[in-house]
Amino acid sequence: MEMFAEQLINGLTIGSFYALVAIGYTMVYGVMKLINFAHGDLFTLGSYLGYTILVIGAGWATATFGVWGGVIVAVIGAMIGIGFAGLLLEKVAYAPVYKAGRLPLVVSALGASIFISNAIMAIWGPRYQAYPQASIPTGSLVLFGDVRITYVRLVTILVSLGLMALMYYIIEKTTFGSAVRASALDKDTATLMGIDFKKIIRFVFFVGPSLGALAGVFAGLNYSRIIFNLGQTYGLKAFTASILGGIGNIPGAMIGGLLLGLMEALFEGYVSGAWKNVFVFVILIVILIIRPTGLISEKIAEKV
Amino acid sequence: MSNFTRTITDRINKFQGARATIFKNKRQRRILLIVLIGLMLVFPFLPFVSNYWLDVGFFVGIYVLLGLSLNIVLGEVGLFNLGQAGFYAIGAYTTGILYTQLNIPIVLLLPISAIVAGAVAYLTVSPIIHLKGDYLCIVTIGIGEIIRITANNNPFGLTNGPNGITGIGNPDFGLFSIRTSTQFFYYVWIIIALVIVALINLQKSRIGRAWNYIREDEIAAESNGIDVRHYKLLAFLIGTALAGVAGNIYGSKMMIISPDNFTFMESCLIFAIVLLGGLGSIPGNVLGAAIIVIFPEIFREFASYRMLFFGAALVVMMVFRPGGILPRRRSQAGFSGLGIANLPTDENQYIENIVAQGSVAQRTGAPSQAVHPESVPSGEKRRVLETQQVTINFGGLIAVNKFDLNVREGEITALIGPNGAGKTTLFNGITGIYPPTKGRIIFMDEDITALKPHKIIAKGIARTFQNIRLFPSLTCIENVMSSPHYHATAGPWESIVHTSRQRKEEHLILETAVYRLHQIGLWEYRNELAKNLPYGKQKLLEIARALASSPKLLILDEPSSGLNDKESEALIEFLLKLKTEGFPLLLIEHDMNVVMGTSDRITVMDMGSKIAEDVPSRIYNDPKVIEAYLGKEE
Amino acid sequence: MKKAFAFTFTVMIILSLILTGCAQPAAEEETIKIGLQAPLTGAYAAEGAWAKQCVEIAAQLINDKGGVLGKKIEIVVVDDASNPKDSALAAQKMVSQGLQEVIASYGSSVTAPAADLYDANKVVSVAYGATAVRLTMEKERPYFFRTAGRDDTQSEFFAKFAVETLGAKTLAVMHDNQDYGKGVAVDAMAFLQPYIDAGQVEVVYYDAVTPNESDYSAVVSQIKALNPDVWFYTAYYSEAALLLKQAREAGVTSTFIGSNAVPSPEFVKIAGESIVDGSIHLNEPMPQFLSFPESKEFLDAYQAKYNEMPGSIWSVYAADGLNALVAAIRKAGTTDPDKVAEAMRTMTDATGITGLLLFTERGDRKDIPYYAYIYNAQGILEPYK
Repeated sequence: MEMFAEQLINGLTIGSFYALVAIGYTMVYGVMKLINFAHGDLFTLGSYLGYTILVIGAGWATATFGVWGGVIVAVIGAMIGIGFAGLLLEKVAYAPVYKAGRLPLVVSALGASIFISNAIMAIWGPRYQAYPQASIPTGSLVLFGDVRITYVRLVTILVSLGLMALMYYIIEKTTFGSAVRASALDKDTATLMGIDFKKIIRFVFFVGPSLGALAGVFAGLNYSRIIFNLGQTYGLKAFTASILGGIGNIPGAMIGGLLLGLMEALFEGYVSGAWKNVFVFVILIVILIIRPTGLISEKIAEKV
Repeated sequence: MSNFTRTITDRINKFQGARATIFKNKRQRRILLIVLIGLMLVFPFLPFVSNYWLDVGFFVGIYVLLGLSLNIVLGEVGLFNLGQAGFYAIGAYTTGILYTQLNIPIVLLLPISAIVAGAVAYLTVSPIIHLKGDYLCIVTIGIGEIIRITANNNPFGLTNGPNGITGIGNPDFGLFSIRTSTQFFYYVWIIIALVIVALINLQKSRIGRAWNYIREDEIAAESNGIDVRHYKLLAFLIGTALAGVAGNIYGSKMMIISPDNFTFMESCLIFAIVLLGGLGSIPGNVLGAAIIVIFPEIFREFASYRMLFFGAALVVMMVFRPGGILPRRRSQAGFSGLGIANLPTDENQYIENIVAQGSVAQRTGAPSQAVHPESVPSGEKRRVLETQQVTINFGGLIAVNKFDLNVREGEITALIGPNGAGKTTLFNGITGIYPPTKGRIIFMDEDITALKPHKIIAKGIARTFQNIRLFPSLTCIENVMSSPHYHATAGPWESIVHTSRQRKEEHLILETAVYRLHQIGLWEYRNELAKNLPYGKQKLLEIARALASSPKLLILDEPSSGLNDKESEALIEFLLKLKTEGFPLLLIEHDMNVVMGTSDRITVMDMGSKIAEDVPSRIYNDPKVIEAYLGKEE
Repeated sequence: MKKAFAFTFTVMIILSLILTGCAQPAAEEETIKIGLQAPLTGAYAAEGAWAKQCVEIAAQLINDKGGVLGKKIEIVVVDDASNPKDSALAAQKMVSQGLQEVIASYGSSVTAPAADLYDANKVVSVAYGATAVRLTMEKERPYFFRTAGRDDTQSEFFAKFAVETLGAKTLAVMHDNQDYGKGVAVDAMAFLQPYIDAGQVEVVYYDAVTPNESDYSAVVSQIKALNPDVWFYTAYYSEAALLLKQAREAGVTSTFIGSNAVPSPEFVKIAGESIVDGSIHLNEPMPQFLSFPESKEFLDAYQAKYNEMPGSIWSVYAADGLNALVAAIRKAGTTDPDKVAEAMRTMTDATGITGLLLFTERGDRKDIPYYAYIYNAQGILEPYK
């Protein structure tokens, strides 16, 4: 029972990361119908940016604002930085290719992904970096019995859930959100209705990557180890999560991410670690056979 | 005529004038090809070529094979497949396991690896082949990962886990065996040459075209008689079998295979090869593979930065040449690009012959005489199509409600009604796109309810679409050649070899298409890409495409929308002419001139239900109709 | 225009082919060239970088003392991207450049195809990060050697140490499903079997984690529930650090034992001093505990240049690969591969950073003992007592 409770928490943590990264995939996909392969690498870049903020000036941020204050500075800094990196990426690698159709975009994204991860390697080196011990909040909360959760982990889950709720609110309940959704459904009509499509693109390419950056910094705080290809695993899993939920819609990405995390934790905890990813993909395939467009997406008949 | 049309006409005129240069280019291309082949032949003996460069050449070859294998699925059919490395692994592991356990000769394992890889692909992909683009993409990633992890986990002690399989032998042809770098270089490139010849033949056959139709527009392909599911699976089968071949050759050269060879990154590289070279372009593929392998080799000295350059190069390439480096150019090739043997070189001469013979119409069209000589006496004409109490629901919404529609032999029937009445939905119900929730559809005394669209057209119902659904990046003639597809039967083998029966079929397909294209007045646009045509011409092209299937009933969805008055009049004339040819017609139409000018009978639909059915003059005065439909308009 | 582009492109490719092909060095040999094949890109790029640094330091030390056979050593580095296909190409490149001795490479499944190629072309190769038993045992490779110990030696030591020294009753054996980690784990299970049969111990957990992930909490919770006396992780330091950190935070108290790929400054950096405190690690003699002058000299030079200890033991083995080759060249009096290989097998007194560099007939390192080390609260490794 204790182990089951622990595995639920584990799954929720893993799932929070997947969900945060998946939101970035799904937002870009929804508006541009592009699988942004470079998204995972922006996540890595965010993690490195957070790391850099925490180590500059011998831990100046932590020394000045305290441990949690330093964390907040790092998170905000990374989010803003990566938000702009996302805008730059769109401008350089996607905007010129947008007219050419979807497939060239995918290759461009693939190229950008290879470029960013190797640029990270060139800048920060090929070895593992570790978030400075002094900047990572310590301590954990005992829930019951011997089940405990570190504060960092708790904050990760809470912040993720909070941000997901916020994103849900923005996209589903505000005027701007409905503009985003309208652009996702039909770009041309939306433009005719006076929606500034460029603004929508800027929005998704700023917000998506900055959520990824947030996840990146939290990954650093939780696990301390970061490396230039960190985003590959997260990217692939988050992409899986967004498809699982139904790509293009934000609640789908959240549900998909959390579900994926829970499935991984429970399967690894109770059945086998070596076969974990086989299990994950088999479940994904089975779900897609039953629901060809993911769990959440409503079935819209294609207009013929 | 619009400015746009004029530009196109100009371009075509220029194109005709430029024929001489094209031929010269063709000769140039042939010379280039011979030079390249010559270069490949002497490559191992060039002074600076060490075993290292031979091995680089060998690996270029492996990636050419892999690129070609994915090109069939991604390039020709447009299916996102990011799991090709998995099938490559199946080929390599089949070779490794069967060689080390059962000592089957490597050469014999070449076809066996292909078959096993193809079979695995068929079994795993067939339940999910209907998934759309990115959903299929993630599933193929999943399949690739499942295969790699399974190999890594060493099930039943077969794959030897992460260590991989060692001690794979060299290909042995009895008299000589392939051992040195030079031998392997020739070995892989000879296989590539054979594969390329086969693939070019396949590309230029009804199968290759069917794949392209699916890539361009799945629904239009299905409605024009392409069994989409079948052809998608066929592409996966052939493509993955080829990946299996690559796996076999790789294994026999390396003598060691391990799961590390077959990662997701490998699939991404293969994916990049296809797109870098140009979708569906075989020469592009070869070049793409060469770049992907040689580029990092040249920069191997700059080790840490080479992948950085590589990533940037991919982006730059897509920004400046999004269609790939050597995209397939259809419109420039003319009819010779169709790969049909023994065509007259002068295309205009060709059409004159066909029109003069007038034979195509007799062979394939004219249902009234050809199919039903025993016409029922006048008055009660035979019903060609009958929908009986057809109901189509979407969720809770009833789009079509217990609808009875009749189309009689030799007549033009119009289905009219206000926007949103459910007319197009009914058409989609008849043609199998949305199977009816209830009711039956009888065509020529046969129940065709809920047949798939490609079966419906085979029964003899051809259609056009309200929002044009052409195959935009294919030429007009290729567009029209789609609908005679189902008349032909040549399978993959015949299409690869181009047997005489296959060639006869291809000629017939082309003749039918040429005849209809000419008939509708688009002959001069034959080699132009469909997407470059103005709107009105696109509508006509769609009708030509439907006609080329030699249907027994033609269903046109708003043929006159978007046409100007002159074009509409020409359309009316054309429809009446078709009627005299014996085609029963069913139209949805809003233009009352067209409706009144052509139809023998009108059925009125409102809110999914039938409110009237009669001859035009009486419909025109029917108060119910005026209230529901015309009244609102006036 | 487009044609011109395609044409220029083709010409460029062909030109660069020719140029790169021609760019081979002139024949006169001023130096003795020794190749280093290492993963400079790809997942193990850090290992490649360290190997390069270590080998360069070792080469410099040799050159400072006048080189060998009156010539200086020159290191030719080629990247193998940690990938079997690239490894074969890298090896072919070394062979084509006329190298006769190389240090290659990191990772058993990456090393194997290269070793075959070197062997077929009579190039002496010394592996530094390849520990799979099969490399030397499955077939004769007369030109292949390695400075690292074998999986089975370590596993045998582990079984004895865990059961007899630590007196463990319940054990968890965890690997990462890659060739090195799984190799050690499989052998460990084999050497534990007699104890299991005797009812002395029980293996309560034997499974793999997925490398390159960050969150191992699911498996940590499992270890916590099973609560084994000893928890043996057989693969690399980075996952080991995450596992140990997450386990200690979750309250796992089992004794952690790491394989020889675990103890390194990086391990401490990722996990933190307080976490690694008390964790035990198996290793060949660590250079810092060796009394050979070569060990101290090398570590001093390395620290002077990079201001840290070598990141992993494998890179030190790479440096010893160079030392072994140089000793053999010196003994043979030539760089002729046949004679150098012969000399490698018959050396009796060559010393390197990790001790005596002696090799068996099949190319394995001879008499390489294992020791247990333990981290103290300051994150410093000490011999286990």
